[in-house]
Amino acid sequence: MNYRGLSIDELHALLVAKKVTPLELAQEALALAKKDSNNAFEYIMEKEALDFAVSLTEPEDNNPLWGIPFVIKDNFSTKDVPTTGSSNILKGYVPVFDATVVEKLKAAKAVAIGKTTLDELAMGGTGTSGHLGMTFNPYDRKHERLVGGSSCGSAAVTADGFVPFALGSDTGDSTRKPASYAGLVGFKPTWSRISRYGLFPFAPSLDTVGIFSRNVKDSAYVLDVLAGHDDRDFTSSVKPVDEYAKDIEKVNPKAKIAVIKGIVDSISDKVVLDKFNETIEMLKNAGFTVDFVEIDEKILSSLFPTYFVISCAEATSNNANMDGIKFGPYYNGQTFEDVVSQARTNGFGELIKRRFIIGNFALMKENQKDLFLRAQKNRRVIVNAVNDILKEYDFIYCPAAPSIAPKVGEKSDRLSNEYLIADNHLVIANFAGLPSITLPIGMKDGMPFGANFTGRAFEDKQVLQMAYELEKHTGLKNIVAKGE
Amino acid sequence: MKEYNIEILKQAARGLLFDMSEEQYQTLMSEFDIVVAQMKIIGENKELDKAEQMVFPFDVSTSTMREDVPEEPLSREEAIRNANNKIGGQIKLPKVVQ
Repeated sequence: MNYRGLSIDELHALLVAKKVTPLELAQEALALAKKDSNNAFEYIMEKEALDFAVSLTEPEDNNPLWGIPFVIKDNFSTKDVPTTGSSNILKGYVPVFDATVVEKLKAAKAVAIGKTTLDELAMGGTGTSGHLGMTFNPYDRKHERLVGGSSCGSAAVTADGFVPFALGSDTGDSTRKPASYAGLVGFKPTWSRISRYGLFPFAPSLDTVGIFSRNVKDSAYVLDVLAGHDDRDFTSSVKPVDEYAKDIEKVNPKAKIAVIKGIVDSISDKVVLDKFNETIEMLKNAGFTVDFVEIDEKILSSLFPTYFVISCAEATSNNANMDGIKFGPYYNGQTFEDVVSQARTNGFGELIKRRFIIGNFALMKENQKDLFLRAQKNRRVIVNAVNDILKEYDFIYCPAAPSIAPKVGEKSDRLSNEYLIADNHLVIANFAGLPSITLPIGMKDGMPFGANFTGRAFEDKQVLQMAYELEKHTGLKNIVAKGE
Repeated sequence: MKEYNIEILKQAARGLLFDMSEEQYQTLMSEFDIVVAQMKIIGENKELDKAEQMVFPFDVSTSTMREDVPEEPLSREEAIRNANNKIGGQIKLPKVVQ
């Protein structure tokens, strides 16, 4: 039997009925991984997956993730498994520990089958800057279109149906944007809801573990396993966790939804806008209040520069430990500085070197007030505006991206509203630490596109319920890119 | 804000202990022009002067002390296994103080 594209519930039923074993699922997923044509894998965990799968002999009825194959973005530490962050500076690096999320998924008996590509060190949004080259969108077999980033590999593998869920990370939209481009559910929980121990830090005031799946409930199953405080991550919340998959169909029937007019107005793709407006009608017909609300256009236009300065500055600091001494390729030199400089010059790609320089420039004493501190103040202005909306409304709802996945080489006007607002508004949820989920709402020219709900902090369950409700109305769940 | 030119950007790169090609610095200069234009947009927000810096999205209260639980530490071999220049169980480097 072909298990490609099945959901967690479908696979779980087969496993519990002993119609399939974890070993068979792992074998199929590994066979698919080896034939991957989208450049989505850094490392295929064949031995590790098979050894683990063969040990799983007694199905656990109450454990939906038992025996389920999944993939891990290669910026999560995996013990004894190469982890590169898709960067040459970490070539050959093999962690001595598992990230907490990897430990938790192992404990839940899910079976990791591979590490997936990303934009180098998660610093990118296209899926093109990893050291192995571009990762392609499985919906476009001509390999002309991006899958987005930075979690490109996890998005591609899940969209291709190899596994029902994947780990990603989300600092500016790196799970939720590729989800839109790849017809997936991409979920960014509340900041601090999931431990980041073992996740390579990019911008810790924004970084969140992300989840890809092909339906909303599957993301909820994964959050059930991952949520919770971790003593090894002092930023992880001690607030009690919910049961996220339970009662997922019980959305608040009186929920009020705000659509930010400035975001919609910055989009010119008529197909996306028409479909988005159709979903608004679906929600209204289902009894929800949906209102268009305003945020000052100056605030919306400032989203991207604020994110860019803060993230580059934090990234510069967080990657100062990449020195080729403790890990990564070593280069001989006359002095200590030579050794480190050669490692960093040869190890980092061009894109992230530019970002580090921008970050360093923003942190220079003469520039801090005008750049870094100003960006931090503007973050407060943005978050205040968003939280004001969420005092009266339960969710913010917007198109997730201005259009379908762009073609390789397509250029944007980086001072246009389409770039500054439509292409980058998802960062609002990172600034404010809010739970946020993208799900598919339509197709254009054979390519999917999505919409996004953002809710209040720690109302992850409510966000999942709202997304589940919309998914019921669109019928767009468990979609898979057409296979080879 | 400090004026930027290629020399300043090269200084910033060298401060970070890496270098780029001349062509890459030119690309960076073009990017800087756009970044500075984008940053000017932030300056147009009227509420900015009154706003406080935001470092984290919200306060997270956490325990600061944990119980002492004896564990096996990493062995020396494990701790340095990813270092590619080793001798006698230690990481080898050029002298810092010459």
